[in-house]
Amino acid sequence: MMKHRAHLPTVLGLVLAIGVVACGPSRDDPNRLTVWEQMDPAEQAMLREHLDMFEDEHPGVRVDVVHFETENLRQNFQTAALAGTGPDLVYGPSDGVGPYSIMGLIYELEDPRLNIHPDTLALYLPDALPKVNGKTYRISDQIGNHLTLVRNGAFAPDAPMTMEELIRVAKENTIDEDGDGRPDRWGLVFNLAEPFWLIPFLGGYGGWVMDESEHPTLDSEAMVGALALVRRFIDEGIIPPSCDYPLSDTLFKQGKAAFIINGPWSWQGYRDVGIDVRLSSIPRIPETGLWPSPSTASKGYSMNIHVPETRLDLVVDLMMFLTSADVVGRLSDRIGALPSRIDVGNWPRVANNPELAASWEQLRRGRQMPLVPEMRAIWDVMRPGMQRVVSGSATPEEAAQRMQEDALRKIEEMKL
Amino acid sequence: MSRRGAIALFLIPSALVMGLIVLWPFVYNLWLSMTNLGLYTIKDGPDFVGFAQYLRLFGEPDLYEYLLRTLIWTGINVVFHVVIGVGLALALNQKFTGRAFYRGLLILPWALPQYIAALSWRGMFNFEYGQINLLLGSIGMDPVPWLSTEVGAFAAALITNIWLGFPFMMVVALGGLQSIPKEMYEAADIDGAGSWWRLRHITIPLLRPVMMPAIVLGTIWTFNNLNVIWLVTNHGEPADSSHILVTYVYKAAFVYYRYGYAAAFGVLIFLILLVLTWMNYRQADKSAYGA
Repeated sequence: MMKHRAHLPTVLGLVLAIGVVACGPSRDDPNRLTVWEQMDPAEQAMLREHLDMFEDEHPGVRVDVVHFETENLRQNFQTAALAGTGPDLVYGPSDGVGPYSIMGLIYELEDPRLNIHPDTLALYLPDALPKVNGKTYRISDQIGNHLTLVRNGAFAPDAPMTMEELIRVAKENTIDEDGDGRPDRWGLVFNLAEPFWLIPFLGGYGGWVMDESEHPTLDSEAMVGALALVRRFIDEGIIPPSCDYPLSDTLFKQGKAAFIINGPWSWQGYRDVGIDVRLSSIPRIPETGLWPSPSTASKGYSMNIHVPETRLDLVVDLMMFLTSADVVGRLSDRIGALPSRIDVGNWPRVANNPELAASWEQLRRGRQMPLVPEMRAIWDVMRPGMQRVVSGSATPEEAAQRMQEDALRKIEEMKL
Repeated sequence: MSRRGAIALFLIPSALVMGLIVLWPFVYNLWLSMTNLGLYTIKDGPDFVGFAQYLRLFGEPDLYEYLLRTLIWTGINVVFHVVIGVGLALALNQKFTGRAFYRGLLILPWALPQYIAALSWRGMFNFEYGQINLLLGSIGMDPVPWLSTEVGAFAAALITNIWLGFPFMMVVALGGLQSIPKEMYEAADIDGAGSWWRLRHITIPLLRPVMMPAIVLGTIWTFNNLNVIWLVTNHGEPADSSHILVTYVYKAAFVYYRYGYAAAFGVLIFLILLVLTWMNYRQADKSAYGA
């Protein structure tokens, strides 16, 4: 017994090591592939179906899937790929491409070893092929990820055409039913804690987060206008001042909000609980005449730079299969994802789908999120700035100025 | 084989594992802290920069703010953990109906996964719909903006961590109390000692050797507690004003890819904890041996 105990730490160490290795690619088996993803449950189920189809077409091949939450996926993939292991394919939003490519963790799809013909890439919309320094690093199976105005048809049957109209209808729908001084139904809800929800208004006032040379442009009249509008929503009393994502999502699902600003990932959940979901673009800003422009992104697959030569072709086959017209079309049909491929977008059942049309309309008014890693600093300084304005501890002008100063400092620090 | 040889042989597996999981990461971290490893240098390999990261670290005013907040965080937490834990242990050491039930109930916070508990508490601190403000409202008090102010967010994290941490001290203290011979209390009773005298001169001195290691452990755990601050304040909000040292290091490393800088910060945290632990043990030795 003593002898066994003396070896216990060694055995435990080995078990741990085996556990870690089991999550990455099996280096010796050319027919066993691994995909790491951050999909929601509906997408995960469809991925498994698609992988089963791929395995049927490739007898002897097995594809394993490991699921992570988005941020954990980023960290785990970086750690694994830096150590020379990790999955064959990594799936996620396009903003991961910036850091992965700079760190040299994923393949350029123009790499001759991959044998991907330029005509093949031409089948996809430009947004579906995120590029860094002119090189493509990911093929997407869906595009969008854009915020849209969602209304509860029972409270707001018609889409507001201007911001003033939205505020008016939201006010009419902010109702204290039991007379306790607190609204039981709110006019508008969205996440006041995250700058992702500020971006549409920034675009609506004619601004953006960076200029073409990737220099932050946060201290601008547009930013002041966007922050002032968010503050106005609070001052008008149409939105709960502490509205974060879970609260906004819950209130809308419970039928306690007329409008929510949220993305495509949420819409099916609202339908599932019986909300009469109607989509429209976030309405135009009267002062500028511009439409709010949510940031857009795509979601897709990148290839780990450490995929062994012995299964390079098979991994490329898998990536092309998972972004094929058939798979992209199924994703569009089943979960309402906007197709990443030009040919699928032209299919009559996709082109004539009224719900996808509203989403397309908002997408066309959006703007692709920059892929550079400096966006992390931009998000990180916009968040407190937005929160200060929401809490009333800073004016929009003060917040915008502070955002710019902090962004410049943090971007500089990232290089040290 | 000689006795010494046998001992050495038995120690080899543990030494190897300790070397692998403690010594090697420590040495590697030291090396990292003297490089400029970051997003833009990972691909081609970092440069050796000597003590540049340490000089940068000490030149940043934020460091001192985070350090002060960490010390306040650790001090308040450990004091409350010990006071509540020992107080409850004294109560549970008495004989009364339902003692086992209460003992189980009070250990519950410790049994819950920290991640889930922290997120639940975050929900309870919501301004409009959180149970805490609803409770305050029901007794006529104004709602508190827990998560949107610097003081409120820090207080919310403190309350959460105090709730999570007292059961550990309670269990340790309860074990210590049950090991105190009953004869000592009986002798004190015969001498006419009151309950305060018994607490001061029997319970606390005999509990001290049991509690000191627990306090040292509690200090280290609390000082390095990433989860509660990170989750309750949503990554140091509002405006990065509720960070303690470890949450700031985590952000520097895993949000901004400043690995060399974060490694230097890690070494600093290690040194602070080394000093705190040494002081704690020194104090414990003095108390035990009356030095």
